[in-house]
Amino acid sequence: MTRRLPAQAGEVINRSTPLSFKWDGGNLSAFEGDTIASALLANDKRIVSRSMKYHRPRGYLTADFWDPNGFVQVGDDPNVRSGHRLVENGMTIDPQNVWPSLDYDMKAANGLVGRFLTAGFYYKTFIKPQAMWPVYEKVLARFAPGGTVDLDTPHGYHDKRYAHPDVVVAGGGPAGMAAAISAASLGARVMLVEHEHALGGHLRWGNAEDRRLLDELRGKVEGAGVEILTNSTVTGRYEDNWTAIVQRSHPIAVERLIKARAKVLVVAPGLIERPYVFTGNDKPGVMLSGAVRRLINMYAVKPGERAVVFTGNADGDAAIVDLERVGVTVARVVDARQGENIVVAKGGAKALDSVELSDGSVIEADLLVTAVGWTAPTSLLNMAGDRPVYHAGSARFYPSAEIHNVLATGGIAGDGDADQLLAHAEATGRLAANRAAAVAHRVQDLTARALPVQGPEPTWPEDDRQSLPRDSHPALFRSTTHGIVDYSEDVDSKDLVAAAKEGYDSVELLKRYTTATMGPSQGKLETVNTVAVLAEARGETIQEVGTTVWRPPYAPITLGALGGRVFEPVRVSSIQSWHEANGATPILAGAWVRPDHYGDPAAEVTNTRTNVGIIDVTPLGKLDLQGPDVPKLLNHLYTNKWSQLPVGSVRYGIMCAEDGVVLDDGVTGRLSDNRYLMTTTSSGAATIWEWAENWLQTEHPDWQVHVTPVTSGFTSINVAGPKSRALVSRLVDNVDLGPDAFDYMQVRSGTVAGVPNCFMWRIGFTGELSFELHVPSGHGLHVWTALLEMGNDLGVKPFGLEAQRIMRLEKGHFIVGQDTDGLTKAPSLGMNGLIKLDKDDFAGKPELAWAMEQSLPSLVAIQTTDPAEVPTEASQIVRAGTNEILGRITSSRMSPTLDRSICLGQVLPEAAPAGTELTIVMIDGRRITARVMEHQAHFDPEGQRLRG
Amino acid sequence: MGVLQKSKPARYSAVGLVRRGLRGDTWPRVWREVPLKKSYDVVIIGGGVHGLATAYYLATNHGITDVAVLDKAYLGSGGSGRNTAIVRSNYLTPEGVAFYDRSLQLYKTMAADLNMNVMFSERGHMTLAHTDGALRTMHWRAEVNKLQNINSSVIDPAEVKKLAPSLDTSSHPRYPILGALYHPPGGTIRHDAVVWGYARGADARGVEMHQKTEVLDITVEGGSGPDGKGPGGTVTGVRTSKGDISAPIVVNCTAGWATLISDMAGVRLPISTRPLQAAVTEPVKVFLPTVVVSGSLHVYVSQTDRGELVFGASVDPFNNYSVRGSLDFTEELASHVLELMPGISRMRLLRQWAGLCDMTPDYSPVMGFTPVQGFLCDVGWGTYGFKAGPVSGEQMAYCIATNETPELISAFNLSRFAAGELVGEKGAAAVGH
Ligand SMILES: Cc1cc2nc3c(=O)[nH]c(=O)nc-3n(C[C@H](O)[C@H](O)[C@H](O)COP(=O)(O)OP(=O)(O)OC[C@H]3O[C@@H](n4cnc5c(N)ncnc54)[C@H](O)[C@@H]3O)c2cc1C
Repeated sequence: MTRRLPAQAGEVINRSTPLSFKWDGGNLSAFEGDTIASALLANDKRIVSRSMKYHRPRGYLTADFWDPNGFVQVGDDPNVRSGHRLVENGMTIDPQNVWPSLDYDMKAANGLVGRFLTAGFYYKTFIKPQAMWPVYEKVLARFAPGGTVDLDTPHGYHDKRYAHPDVVVAGGGPAGMAAAISAASLGARVMLVEHEHALGGHLRWGNAEDRRLLDELRGKVEGAGVEILTNSTVTGRYEDNWTAIVQRSHPIAVERLIKARAKVLVVAPGLIERPYVFTGNDKPGVMLSGAVRRLINMYAVKPGERAVVFTGNADGDAAIVDLERVGVTVARVVDARQGENIVVAKGGAKALDSVELSDGSVIEADLLVTAVGWTAPTSLLNMAGDRPVYHAGSARFYPSAEIHNVLATGGIAGDGDADQLLAHAEATGRLAANRAAAVAHRVQDLTARALPVQGPEPTWPEDDRQSLPRDSHPALFRSTTHGIVDYSEDVDSKDLVAAAKEGYDSVELLKRYTTATMGPSQGKLETVNTVAVLAEARGETIQEVGTTVWRPPYAPITLGALGGRVFEPVRVSSIQSWHEANGATPILAGAWVRPDHYGDPAAEVTNTRTNVGIIDVTPLGKLDLQGPDVPKLLNHLYTNKWSQLPVGSVRYGIMCAEDGVVLDDGVTGRLSDNRYLMTTTSSGAATIWEWAENWLQTEHPDWQVHVTPVTSGFTSINVAGPKSRALVSRLVDNVDLGPDAFDYMQVRSGTVAGVPNCFMWRIGFTGELSFELHVPSGHGLHVWTALLEMGNDLGVKPFGLEAQRIMRLEKGHFIVGQDTDGLTKAPSLGMNGLIKLDKDDFAGKPELAWAMEQSLPSLVAIQTTDPAEVPTEASQIVRAGTNEILGRITSSRMSPTLDRSICLGQVLPEAAPAGTELTIVMIDGRRITARVMEHQAHFDPEGQRLRG
Repeated sequence: MGVLQKSKPARYSAVGLVRRGLRGDTWPRVWREVPLKKSYDVVIIGGGVHGLATAYYLATNHGITDVAVLDKAYLGSGGSGRNTAIVRSNYLTPEGVAFYDRSLQLYKTMAADLNMNVMFSERGHMTLAHTDGALRTMHWRAEVNKLQNINSSVIDPAEVKKLAPSLDTSSHPRYPILGALYHPPGGTIRHDAVVWGYARGADARGVEMHQKTEVLDITVEGGSGPDGKGPGGTVTGVRTSKGDISAPIVVNCTAGWATLISDMAGVRLPISTRPLQAAVTEPVKVFLPTVVVSGSLHVYVSQTDRGELVFGASVDPFNNYSVRGSLDFTEELASHVLELMPGISRMRLLRQWAGLCDMTPDYSPVMGFTPVQGFLCDVGWGTYGFKAGPVSGEQMAYCIATNETPELISAFNLSRFAAGELVGEKGAAAVGH
C-alpha cells in the first residue's frame, strides 16, 4: 500500500483489521473501512476502467458512488460502484470493459479514429448494404459497456418492509441530521436515510471543526429516537409521498426495500461536485476536490505527488490545505475567481504529466484538482413535480416551488455558514413535524406520534423558514477547450455542439441523439454541463435552454431488491397431499396446481360413466353473497332472471361484459332467504369478484349486498356417475337424497361424513347424475377419503381435469376462454334463451340487444370424417381450396365413450348450419374434412343421465 | 431565414463521416427551422412516427409538399420516443397480419430509403406460454399466421432454451415455460432514428416541422354541433400557440392526446388514454439475443446492442394523462422478470418512465375519414403503434391524396364501432406490443 499515509484523526479505516482482495488477477491489501476505490488508489492503481467508446484509460474522478469511471465487477455482481462498495476480505474484483486487459487494450485503437466517431455516427453509417447491418450489430454489441451477468447467480434473500413514519429525511449530512433531531424533538417518528456507510455527509472529510460538529450531531441524533438507516438510499418519491428506500445494510437480507408512506419528506442530499470540461479532463490524475479530500481525510490515501489546483470556491481552497498537509506539492493554484483558467491536461494515454493554463504556462503535475461548483441533486424534488430553476449568481439550479409535503434543506436549498445552515435545517425539521401532525390529523392516523390526532384540525403550518443565502460563484462549465462531458458515455462537448448545430438542439433531442446523461451515472455529474454546452451552442442562457429533470430511481436499484422474495404462490386444495401420494399428474390451471389425471384419463371417463367418479374441483370460484339485494346484483351480472329463485334451488347463468362479450359462466344457489353461493369458473374467480365489487361500489352503492370470496374456504368435490346417489347417501344422513326430494338443480345443506355445514348441489359438468359437495376446507381430505372408502364396492375412482374436459366436451359444454375468446358475444353460444332482454338493465344489455339481431359466429359441435383424426385445438377451418378462414376448432379430444374424435368450434354463420361440410387445416398442413353436428352435445343430448 | 427552399440533405455514409471528420466540418441540420405560414394544404398534428411518416409519404409518394407537422413539444416526445420499439407481424386477425406485415416490409428497407441507419434488428420475437390455455392461443396465432405466409410457429421448451439460455425452462413451479410462439422476423428498431429519419426525409422534400407549436383548437364550419363543429362540418384550419393556420385537411396523429384533438373538431372517438410504463437497466454484456414476451407475467424484455435490458408491461389499469412512473410497476416487473430469468437479480434498474397509450376496445386503430370533412384520424395506437408507423403513414398519405380509403386499412374505420364490426386483436396485442 504504497500511497497510504500515516494514521491521522478522522480516518474511517481500521488499521487493526487488514484485508486482502484480488484485483484484475493480482493480490492486494486494504484495511477494513476502505472502499474499493480507496484501496486501489492506496495500492497505486490509478487506472480502473476504460472508456466506453474510445476505450481510453480512466482513473477515479470523484471516488464516490457517482464516479462514472469506477464501475467494476465484484464476483457475480456487475457494475459495482467501487467508490462506494467496501472491500471485504477475499473479494474478487475485476475491471470491466477492458478486453483483453487493463494495460494492453486493442480497442484503444478506436481512440485514433475518434474524430470520425462523432456522437450519433452510427445513425449515419452501416446503412448499405442493408444485409450487413446484422453483422455490424454483432460487432458493436461486443463493445457494449458494463459487467457480466452470471446467469447462475442465486437470487439471495431479499426482503421488503412497509413503514409509516411521520417524516423521512433523505440525506444524513449535517442538515439532514439537524432536521431529524428537531422533528423528533417535537414527537415525530423520523427515519433518517443516509446513502453512505455513516452519517456526516461532507463533515466526514472535513477539518477538525467539522469533525467536532459531526460528533455532536451524531450524538444528538442517536439519542433522539430517530431510526437511522445508513448505506441506504431513498431511491424514489412517488404519489402521496410513497417513498422507496433501499437498505443495503440489513443484517440478513442482501437488500431490503422499505416502502414508507412519509407524511413529510425532507430532502437533504447535499450537493454533488461538478466536473469541468476541458481537453484531457478524463486523464487519470484529474480529480475533483471532493475526491481528493475524501481520499486524504477519510482513507489516508495520498492522491498524487505534485498537484495543480483549479479552484473557484472554498472547497478547492480546503483541498489545497489538505494536500499540503500530507506532503503533496501544490505546484500551482489556478484561481478561477481571479479569472485564471486551465486549458489542457497533458500527458500520455495513461497518466497526466502537466497542465496547460490559459496564460500559456505549462505546469508539471501528476494530479489536477478542480473545484468548479456543484449540482443540486434535485431528483426527489423532480419526482414530486418540482422543476428546478437556474440561479446565475451562484451558478447552480435550485428547487423552484414549494411542495406541501416535500421540503428541501441543506446545500440543495442554499449556502451560508454552519449556523445558518443548521438553523434552516432545524426549522425544516420543525415544519416537517408540524405538517406531519396536520397530515396525520387529516387522515386520522392514530399511529402517528407527532402531536395529537384528536381535536379540531390544526391550521396548515406555513413555511416560516428564513431562506438561505446564495453565495456568488463563478459560472464554470467549460474552459476554452473541448473535453468530455459525459464520462460514462464518452460524449465530448464537441459532439454536443455538432449535434446542436445539426438540429438536435433541445435538451431532450440532444440527450437522445448523443446519449449524453443516459448512461449508468444517470447524468448526476453531467446534466448541468450538457445544458451549459447546449446553451453556449445556441447562444442562450442556461435557464432559456431548459431545466434538468431526473426520473426515478435516484440511484440504480437491483432487480433483486425490487422483486423482493418473489412471492408467486401456487394454490392447492386441502386434498393435494392425497393427489400427490396417489400418482396424480399435476397441471397448472391459473394459480392452482391440480390433478390432470391419475394415469389413464380415458379409463377415468369410462369408470365415471359406468360407476362413479370423484373429482377435486376446489379451484372453482366461490362467492358468498348475503343481503336483501342479492337478486338485484344477480340480475345485473347474469343475462337471465334471478328474482324468483326459490330457496334450495340453483340456476345456471352467463355473464357478459358491457360489450356483450362472454365474461364467465356458472351456477348460483339460494341457500336461505338472504344468502346465496355463487360459483364462477376457476380462472374467473378473481375477475368476477372484482366485477361484482366494481358494480356495487361505483354504480349501486345503495344495494345491500356483501360479497365474500370463499373459494379456498371450501373444498369442493364433484361426485359423478350413475352410482353417485348410492355413494353420497352412505355419507349423508340428515338430507333426503331421493330423486323426488332432491331434484336436479337443487341445493341442500347438511352433514357429510360427519362434517356439518356442507353444501350439496345436484349439478355437474360431466353430464352424469352428480352431487357437488362443498365442505369446509379443513375437512376436505377427510370427506375425500371417506368417499373412496365408502364407495369401494361401487367402483368409485378419482378422476382428473382431463377426464372432466373429455366428458364436458362429449356433452358439448363450452369453457369460457377456451371455446370463447375476447370477441365472443353471448348469442354465439346457442343459448339465447338465457338472454332476457325484457329484464331491467343488466351488464351488456344494450350491446346484446343489438347483437341478437346480427349474424354472429356460432359455437358448434364438429366431427371429423375420419373418426381417428383429432385436429389440434386452434386448427383453422378454411373455405375449401383457399386460405380464407371460416372458423377454428376450439376444443378437441378423442372420446372414449363414443370411440371417435369430437370437437367444438367457432365458425362464421355461413358454415354453422348442421351438416355443413368443413375443411380443417391440421397443424402439419394437411387438410381434412369434417361436419357440423345437429346438437352441441355429442353424447346424450337430451340430458337423460344427469336428471336420473 | 425567410427563404423557404428545399434543403439538399447531405448523404449519410461512412465516407462522409471520414471526410467531415478530417475537415472538421459539421453536418447540415436534420430539418430546417422556419417560421409558421398562414396556410398549408395539409396540417398534421403530432410529430411522432405516425405524423412524420404520413408527411413523408405525402411528399414522396404523392408529391404533396405544402405540409406542416405541428408538435407541442419536440419531435418524438410522445409515444414514439418512449416505446420499447418492438416490431413484429404475428397478429391474430387476417386484417392485423396483412397490415403489420406491410409495415415490417417497409422497416426492412427503411435504412436505405431514408438514408439513416434505423438499426432494425431482426432478432426474433418469442411469446412464452405458461399454461395450456396460453399454448392454445399461441397455436391459434401460429395457424392464422401460417395461412398468411407469416413466419411464425410454436416451439418447445428445449428450443426456447436454445434461443434464450437465460430463461428458466425447468419445470418451475409457478410459471413453467410450456412452449412459445416464435416469430423470427420480429425484432427491435431504434425508435428515435425512425422519427428523425422520417422528419429529415420529409424536410428534404419541403415539409415543415414545427416544434413547440401546440394546437389549441380546430376550426370547423357547418357541423351539427356547437360552433359549427361535429358531424357534417368541414375543417377550415387550426389555431396554434404560434398563430392561426388555415388548411383544408387536418390530420390527427396525436396518440395519447387523440381525443383532446378530435374533441376540438367535434368528433368523438371510442378511445381512452392510459399510461404504459417501461424501464431500462444498466448495461451488461449482451446475453439475451431475442425479444421475450410473457403474457401471463405481463412483461416483455429485450436487450439493446448497448447491453441494457429494456422492459415493458401491460398498460396501467386506469385512465390517466400522467407520465410519472410508479413504484409498484417496478416491483411487479422485477419479480416477474426474475421468475423468467432468476439469474439477473444483481442487475440494476437505471430508469423508469411512462408514455400515454390511446386504447380502443378492440386493440385496433382508428384510421381514415371522420364525419367531419377534411378531418382525418390516425389514432388508437395503444401499446402497439410504433411498428405500424410506416404502413400507417403510407396508407394515410394515400387516403389524403386520393380521398379514398385503401383496402389495407378499411377494417380500421371509425364507423366500425357503430356497426359492431370490431377487429379482434385483444388476444395478440394485450401485452405483446
Ligand atoms: C412505454 C411504451 C412502450 C411501447 N412499446 C411499443 C412497442 O414495443 N412496439 C410498438 O409498436 N409500439 C409500442 N408502443 C406504442 C407506440 O409508442 C405508440 O403507439 C406510437 O409511438 C404512437 O405514435 P404516434 O406518432 O401516433 O404518437 P406519438 O409519438 O405519441 O406522437 C403524438 C405527438 O402529438 C403531440 N401532440 C399532442 N397534443 C398536441 C397538440 N395539441 N398540439 C400539437 N401536438 C400535440 C405530442 O407532443 C406527441 O409528440 C409503446 C408505447 C409506450 C408508451
